[in-house]
Amino acid sequence: MMNPILEAKNISLTYKSSDKGFFSTFKHQALKDISFDLLKGETIGILGKNGGGKSTLLRILAGIINPTSGKVICAPATTRALLTLGLGFMPNISGRENAMYSAMLQGASRKEAKAILDEIAEFTELGEFFDQPVDTYSSGMRARLGFATAMYTHVDILFIDEVLSVGDAHFRKKAEAAMLSKLTGEQTCVFVSHNSDQVNKVCSRAIWIDEGIIKEQGDTATVAHHYNLFMQAQ
Amino acid sequence: MKILDFIILVDTKAKMSLKAEASKLYLSFLWWIIEPMLFVLAFYFVFSVLLQTRQENFLLFLMCAKIPYMWFSKAVTTASASIVGNRGIISQIDIPKTIFPYAAIQITVYKEIPVFLLLFSMCIYYGYMPSIEWLWLIPLIVAMYLMIVALGLLTAILVCYADDVRMLINMSMLFLMFTSGVFFDISDIRQPLQGYLLTYNPLAFLCDGFRKILMHKGTYDLQHLLALLGIFSIAIAGLHLLYRNLSRTLAARVVNA
Repeated sequence: MMNPILEAKNISLTYKSSDKGFFSTFKHQALKDISFDLLKGETIGILGKNGGGKSTLLRILAGIINPTSGKVICAPATTRALLTLGLGFMPNISGRENAMYSAMLQGASRKEAKAILDEIAEFTELGEFFDQPVDTYSSGMRARLGFATAMYTHVDILFIDEVLSVGDAHFRKKAEAAMLSKLTGEQTCVFVSHNSDQVNKVCSRAIWIDEGIIKEQGDTATVAHHYNLFMQAQ
Repeated sequence: MKILDFIILVDTKAKMSLKAEASKLYLSFLWWIIEPMLFVLAFYFVFSVLLQTRQENFLLFLMCAKIPYMWFSKAVTTASASIVGNRGIISQIDIPKTIFPYAAIQITVYKEIPVFLLLFSMCIYYGYMPSIEWLWLIPLIVAMYLMIVALGLLTAILVCYADDVRMLINMSMLFLMFTSGVFFDISDIRQPLQGYLLTYNPLAFLCDGFRKILMHKGTYDLQHLLALLGIFSIAIAGLHLLYRNLSRTLAARVVNA
């Protein structure tokens, strides 16, 4: 059997904040005892309604924050990144420069970032706008630039959080096709969505999270079906 | 992340931020010179015209200390807010948090280059010609940079834990300006107070060092400077270890703030 590239073991996370004053703290348990393995080349879908702890789980798996208890086991050399639209974009700077900076933030060297700029420019279909400041872009154009930059940066494990709703219908279709081709290749991926159709399209396995706990995990079609029934009953 | 990639990323972020900042202003990059000169002129007006300070070449005397002080003050203040100010990036990627204070400091380094060139030009204008002693400025500037990095890294962590620290930083900067001989000659202070200021306030020692080299062709206490370089280097190394250990804790604090 193939060794997992990432193991989540009994992950729990409790938020504490002191927004009610110096002596009063607010606590909220966002995740409770989450465990699963991710195999190399596999795409897992995480389903759940908004506010159910999906994004928090993704941040823990991507190594951005630590869980309160439990652990994420992942080889140190494994590169992980959250596919983020417009990571670190600065509005007064051109699309080209922003794409390069964003790719560098996601782990690319300057040379690698420069090398993918032409592909990004072509994919975004921004034309001359690619060399114009991002604050002259429409929201759709920004999303296209953000999506292309994230897609062309290579990492071992890609974490994707609800990004398939970018741009206009034409670009959405193109973005979905690009993502599908990436995910059906060698890419290991964790794909988060509240939309079971999207998860059904791209994932081989699914995990349904509700109020911080795993409700069900296994074959995508079965989990998605139970999730849909649950959501319709809400 | 490799050290070279880290340096390139810091530099790229700093250059992009400078470009973004300049593009928002009509006078663009000219503000790098205009802003510190307006501060110097305001101080000159108060101390030379209103308070009749009897200091030879007071404008240059003021610039020799005010310019390094302003670099220090601006760099530490912006570095302290740099991690919380990049919440968006930190919530989306696991990245060394030291990038943010270093980039904030690098922005001020680029801004100071023309300002220091102006200072040197003013020295020549006042008849203080460049000499071999000016080479002593290099270790002085390195010490200033290391002090800024040490304090910038430290305050950036503290601000993640309590935003109130920013208020303390502003007050400390004011206190340091009044106790670092920016608009008075530290040698006019009676002993043992003068000795205490030069020993325990590195900013006073460094500002005094700039004046000694540029206006008196002298030099500073080299042993003291070496001690400062050692202390700041050890502090920076310790802070880097702290950042490595606290990386995800800082991210959690910033994301949940």
